[in-house]
Amino acid sequence: MSAGPYNYSYIFKYIIIGDMGVGKSCLLHQFTEKKFMADCPHTIGVEFGTRIIEVSGQKIKLQIWDTAGQERFRAVTRSYYRGAAGALMVYDITRRSTYNHLSSWLTDTRNLTNPSTVIFLIGNKCDLEGQRDVTYEEASKFAEENGLMFVEASARQMGNRGDNVEEAFLETAKKIYQSIQDGRLDLNAAESGVQHKPSQPGRNNLSADQQASKDNCAC
Amino acid sequence: MADVLTEIVQPDDLKKFEKIYHEQLYKNDVTPKAQFEYAWCLVRSKYPTDIQKGIILLEELYKTHEEGQRDYLYFLAIGNARLKQYTKALNYVRSFLVIEPGNQQVITLQQTIKKRMEKEGLVGMAMAGGVVLAVGAIVGVGMAIASKVKS
Ligand SMILES: Nc1nc2c(ncn2[C@@H]2O[C@H](COP(=O)(O)OP(=O)(O)OP(=O)(O)O)[C@@H](O)[C@H]2O)c(=O)[nH]1
Ligand SMILES: [Mg+2]
Repeated sequence: MSAGPYNYSYIFKYIIIGDMGVGKSCLLHQFTEKKFMADCPHTIGVEFGTRIIEVSGQKIKLQIWDTAGQERFRAVTRSYYRGAAGALMVYDITRRSTYNHLSSWLTDTRNLTNPSTVIFLIGNKCDLEGQRDVTYEEASKFAEENGLMFVEASARQMGNRGDNVEEAFLETAKKIYQSIQDGRLDLNAAESGVQHKPSQPGRNNLSADQQASKDNCAC
Repeated sequence: MADVLTEIVQPDDLKKFEKIYHEQLYKNDVTPKAQFEYAWCLVRSKYPTDIQKGIILLEELYKTHEEGQRDYLYFLAIGNARLKQYTKALNYVRSFLVIEPGNQQVITLQQTIKKRMEKEGLVGMAMAGGVVLAVGAIVGVGMAIASKVKS
């Protein structure tokens, strides 16, 4: 579909990372399909999802790469980090080990993405309060120390905390959009993770068309 | 547009895993891990000869390394679909779904492959035995319809 017009003006690339079983695929599925998958098998390699959202009146297409947490996929999934504008880093509030591994996930993310990449920490499965193994305060402090945005969320329970799933994806996009507005994120940089699609000529005042063909094949 | 059938491996990543594989090959001691990682990169190459090579490596793994069979089936489907060998790709998908019927990731791959066929005018094949729809009505409509025509 190289011949637009597009019904969105930007594409943001996201990755979702974290230990196996923390609920990455369920969060993605909740965000794109608004459904919970009760019995979700381990991801093979990577899964992909998209959704078009709106930020400050601009339509933005999120292209989301949900990576497999199992160790045998680790080496190759690292190559998906490159050019991510947003990274959702997930742990499971009922399993302390998944929280303890965050610093290694964070190191990987910092090494493999660029300084403008927005990192959002999600403490998932907060519907399982009775089995909590990591306090909100502790995770919140970790996030603050490392300059991450943070919520606790549940891919299972909508209403209440379930809305935080939506929030995590949307707040990340808002922050990326802000970086574009203040010029901190350079749209021309090869690996910014953002593509600008001049959908309606005249309505977008940012320089047009860069990158449009980069990883955009004609299908 | 990027999805699991169109995203392309970075050349330096391909080289990195190729090197590891070849070093092991030289010592006559290739681990399934090295072969799998190399094959996974190969099937994401933009060159059909690479993809073909990746498929051969995955077929070999499938026969010799039972533990990873579901992974190999999945990437065999992806490799074949990228070579436009859709019938073969869908056969791999079906074999997978016999073992794990509800696997959403694989069902999504099946839909992606079928949508691809529809776009390329291979609708008749995609619809074999199913509902026949006019090409124009299908193109671009997406998941909702793809899931209805799921065989
Ligand atoms: N109670 C509860 N269970 C959840 C939640 N999110 C996910 N799960 C369950 O946790 C299990 C693992 O979820 P997945 O989404 O497959 O985990 P993942 O992080 O994608 O795992 P990998 O693909 O192996 O990396 C599944 O059985 C889900 O049903 C949640 O918010 N609450
Ligand atoms: Mg998963």
